[in-house]
Amino acid sequence: MTVSLAPAPTDAASSKEKPALAIRNYSLSYKTDSGLVTALKNIDLTIKKGQTIGLVGESGSGKSSMAWSVMRYLPPNAVETGGAIRLAGEELLDYTQRQMLDIRGSRMAMVFQDPSTSLNPTMRIGEQIAETLMRHRGLSKIEAFAYAEAALARTGITRPKEMLTRYPHEASGGEKQRVVIATAFACEPELIIFDEPTTALDILTARQILDLFNQLREETNVSALYISHDLGLVSRVVDEVSVLHHGVIVESGPVDEVFRRPKADYTRQLIGAVPNPDRWLGVDAPNPPKTLVKLDAIGVQYGAPSKFQKMFWPDDAEKAGYWGAKDVNLTVRKGELLGVVGESGSGKSTIAKVLAGLQDFHGKLEFDGQSITSRKGIDKSYRRRVQLVFQHPDASLNPRQKIGTIIARPLKLYGVVPREKVSARVAELLEMVRLPADFAHRYPHQLSGGQKQRVAIARAFAAEPDLVICDEVTAALDVSVQAAVAELLVKLQKDTGTACVFITHDLNLIRQLAHRIAVMHHGKLVDLFDRDDARSPARDAYTKALLDAVPVPETLAPETITTEA
Amino acid sequence: MRKFFSSPTAVVGTTLLTIVLFAALFGPLIAPFDPQEFHPVARLQGPSATYWLGTDQFGRDLLSRILNGAPATVSFGLFSTAIGVGVGSVIGVIAGVSGGWVDSTIMRILDGLLAVPDLLFTLLIVTVLGGGMEHALLAVAVAFTPGMARIARSAVLSVRTRDYVRAAVARGESGFYIVTCEVLPNALSPIVVESTIRVSFAIMIGATLGFLGLGAQPPSTEWGLMVSEARQFMFRNPWCVAIPGMSIAMAALGFNLFGDALRDALDPRRSH
Amino acid sequence: MTRGYLIRRLLAILLVLVIVTFAVFAITAILPGNAAIMILGEYATPDAVAALQRQLHLDQPWYMQYYSWVSGILLHGDFGMSLRLSLPVSQVVGEAFLNSALLAVTALVAVTIIAIPLGALAALKRGTAVDLAIGLFSYLGTALPEFVTATLLLVFLAAPNSGLFPAGGFVAPWDDMVGFASHIVLPAVTLGLILLAHVSRQVRSEMSEVLASDYIRAARLKGLTERRVIRRHALPNSLAPAVAVISLDIGYLLGGIIVVEEIFAWPGLGRLLMYALENRDLPVIQAVTLLLATVYAVSNLISDIVIALLDPRVRYA
Repeated sequence: MTVSLAPAPTDAASSKEKPALAIRNYSLSYKTDSGLVTALKNIDLTIKKGQTIGLVGESGSGKSSMAWSVMRYLPPNAVETGGAIRLAGEELLDYTQRQMLDIRGSRMAMVFQDPSTSLNPTMRIGEQIAETLMRHRGLSKIEAFAYAEAALARTGITRPKEMLTRYPHEASGGEKQRVVIATAFACEPELIIFDEPTTALDILTARQILDLFNQLREETNVSALYISHDLGLVSRVVDEVSVLHHGVIVESGPVDEVFRRPKADYTRQLIGAVPNPDRWLGVDAPNPPKTLVKLDAIGVQYGAPSKFQKMFWPDDAEKAGYWGAKDVNLTVRKGELLGVVGESGSGKSTIAKVLAGLQDFHGKLEFDGQSITSRKGIDKSYRRRVQLVFQHPDASLNPRQKIGTIIARPLKLYGVVPREKVSARVAELLEMVRLPADFAHRYPHQLSGGQKQRVAIARAFAAEPDLVICDEVTAALDVSVQAAVAELLVKLQKDTGTACVFITHDLNLIRQLAHRIAVMHHGKLVDLFDRDDARSPARDAYTKALLDAVPVPETLAPETITTEA
Repeated sequence: MRKFFSSPTAVVGTTLLTIVLFAALFGPLIAPFDPQEFHPVARLQGPSATYWLGTDQFGRDLLSRILNGAPATVSFGLFSTAIGVGVGSVIGVIAGVSGGWVDSTIMRILDGLLAVPDLLFTLLIVTVLGGGMEHALLAVAVAFTPGMARIARSAVLSVRTRDYVRAAVARGESGFYIVTCEVLPNALSPIVVESTIRVSFAIMIGATLGFLGLGAQPPSTEWGLMVSEARQFMFRNPWCVAIPGMSIAMAALGFNLFGDALRDALDPRRSH
Repeated sequence: MTRGYLIRRLLAILLVLVIVTFAVFAITAILPGNAAIMILGEYATPDAVAALQRQLHLDQPWYMQYYSWVSGILLHGDFGMSLRLSLPVSQVVGEAFLNSALLAVTALVAVTIIAIPLGALAALKRGTAVDLAIGLFSYLGTALPEFVTATLLLVFLAAPNSGLFPAGGFVAPWDDMVGFASHIVLPAVTLGLILLAHVSRQVRSEMSEVLASDYIRAARLKGLTERRVIRRHALPNSLAPAVAVISLDIGYLLGGIIVVEEIFAWPGLGRLLMYALENRDLPVIQAVTLLLATVYAVSNLISDIVIALLDPRVRYA
């Protein structure tokens, strides 16, 4: 596969081979109550045969609109204001929806973000693959199923024949995404659009899907448009990349070129925001280390069987309760930032809930000399000193209270400041999280996601706690906002000396922030190490697998960062 | 508000509701005739310049009777729903907030009561209490209670697991604060929507009871009773059953549409 | 479907029925006045009253009354004797039940056949005149109480001289099929109208939700024909919710049947219940109420099973 540095050839009649996809000067708007809103503006994009182009942008950049435009699947309020979209030289804008029916699924296919919603829950997987083949290849049912089995086998599903007879809910997330990919590749299309195909998946699964993508690309020589918000990930799979910002392509070129020598300000900003494990952001480690909280053999059993159940259905009762966390021994030191890493269902959030007093637990919690053996034993002073920040700021702020009321609540509840000084303190806290003081009079829905998360952080720090638990606080945010929130946390930690438990699935991010990192897997603590020892051979096999799975942005050489600064 | 009135459901619902409520408040004052006055020469007439909606078997003016019956019919719907919603919500909130065995016990009893159809339940209670408007009202309220309790409980439950409630628990807030400041304000809108729609059912059941002779008693001008009294003469003058029948439908429709529009306006997920 | 799921559902229904027996018993037990006096009239001799009280077990404490009532039903299928008709309750109720079932099933089948396609059509033609017409019809339908619909239908379709249908009464289908058919039309239409309106509206909203889902978008982007997207992808996914709606509405149907039978003189459970209520025929009231609640509970169980068959996710839950 060659990466061409020359400008994309124009698709004049003279050019011998027409590009798989050519988008020329394409613009798109949406009709809304407040007039036309531009989604895409003068887009130029060329994908040559066998080439993969990355389209990178944050939410609202218009990257999904681009996919719908190419698939000719736009909502009724979309207005196309000019340009051309050509599939192998054929103008798609001139085609009727009926003509597009024959092209979709056959010459162009799409892989979606969330495989659990993009498969029909009431239809067996086999039929969902076979129906495409029957529709476009005119195969009989038997032929189509044989083909579907082969297609599944190609995606690395171990027992494809069995998978054909399953319903989507009987397959794992990774398997489902393989099914979606097999369906997309089934009719050997010229172009496949991947819309964030790994975002909804766990780290290790995402890595496997990425490998599968690279393998299939080489086998089939398909052309692909790879849409993602994740720069590091894109750098691993594409030949050329275009950066989309507010509907405009601000920069495009070969992957290495764009990452090493970004020209546009926005690209630089984006690259700077990508977590880089080599760039330390955190505060100095506390010295000497003093223990703040000690988790002693903490365990949590979900759906514990009732006595009644044990009596009548002992078999079911055995299976009913599963351990969300088991035998977890961990200490949090004063003033440190402890990272807790794991995939979904690993028990990392369970530990957060135990620490915040939201979850019944077995075992013992030692907090500053005080010993707690049950959730009921957690008193108000503990609750003041340990604060929790949730993943989704939309959900953690009461939609019917003003920001000022929300932040003032811990002040009043714990009597942190005298009543008459509450509003002044609220203003200070808002300032601390770099929000304007007049935000106190707003409601949460009037704020952006990043601003809401700042409010949630301000509320946590209002209690002047000794420990703040951050449960995936950056996961729901855009890359650039994510970096700002992480930096804010570190700054607050520096100012207040508060310890922090930072729970995340993002290994690159946590290696920038944490002094020590705990790794959880299936409810157990499998590894605990100092940040510097991340790459040490003594690491647990699972930790190594996780570290290997995350696309460390290799092309983001340190020089790039320094030029940016 | 402007957004609320952009849907035809809301416009039609609000219009109907305004007419119905106006009739309920001022109907007896603006009625052109005494609703009980006989006009022997003008019996069972269709609409005319004098009697806009026609007359019944005694020559009583239908429009005046409808206007006079409006307060009874509408207030029946409003009060029975209010009592049912009030009691039901308290039970539902208690169940939802306490959880555990209290919740299970309350829910099992409610399940049992819900297995008896509303109208049958109402009929049984009316029989126990004896007929009449007040008893019918109470019966509808009792029949509504289990359903409302269930809705209030599920509203509370859906709010109870929200992160902002968990945040309050983690902060160590008192149960009272959590229920009154965090849970209830957010659980209120489904209860309000459901109650609005329930008023239309209450109006219909109230009229049905009147029709069956178990609700309002003659010489009341309650609309269901009017249909029942005029049934003998319906082939001679369809107006005398159609007018009260349509009035009931209009009142029910008004509350129904308004409730639906309210639901759309309050639930961002449902707005299209 | 797992065995555990079925057992759980069955146990739940049994519990519901136990609670219903308590509720029914409680309501009838607190009927004002002495039932015996009510039956025999104010001038009955004290001896006669006492004798009747013994016969009705009214002289015993309430839990003994409850016990003898429930045990009679469970052990002997004996609901007692009707106080007014001097016949065993089981016999009176049995006949009426059959007649009611004919009416209810006819209405329900008609509703199912018409409402699901109607709702689906409205969802597919969303925002068009067709959708608006269906929406208008369904709103009007839900706002008309049965007695109004029935009265209006009678006025227009059953007038004494020109009527297309008889104004009331019942002919058994095994005696005269045509007569049965002509008698059932108006009651069935009355009974079905509210349900039709409600079910079609619910199906419309379920179907709209399905049509907006990711997997329908995925199916369309596979280039499948619209026909296949609707028939094979959208419809099967909106059927289970539709069944759930219908099964809940059966409660409404069972209430409506009381009014409809009363108006059209259909000799079913509803008419029997009205008669029993007027005459304070306690055993009949208890039996009819219990029977209606059982029908409702069992129909909910059946719908749960149907839903589990339609939706593989529920089946293994």
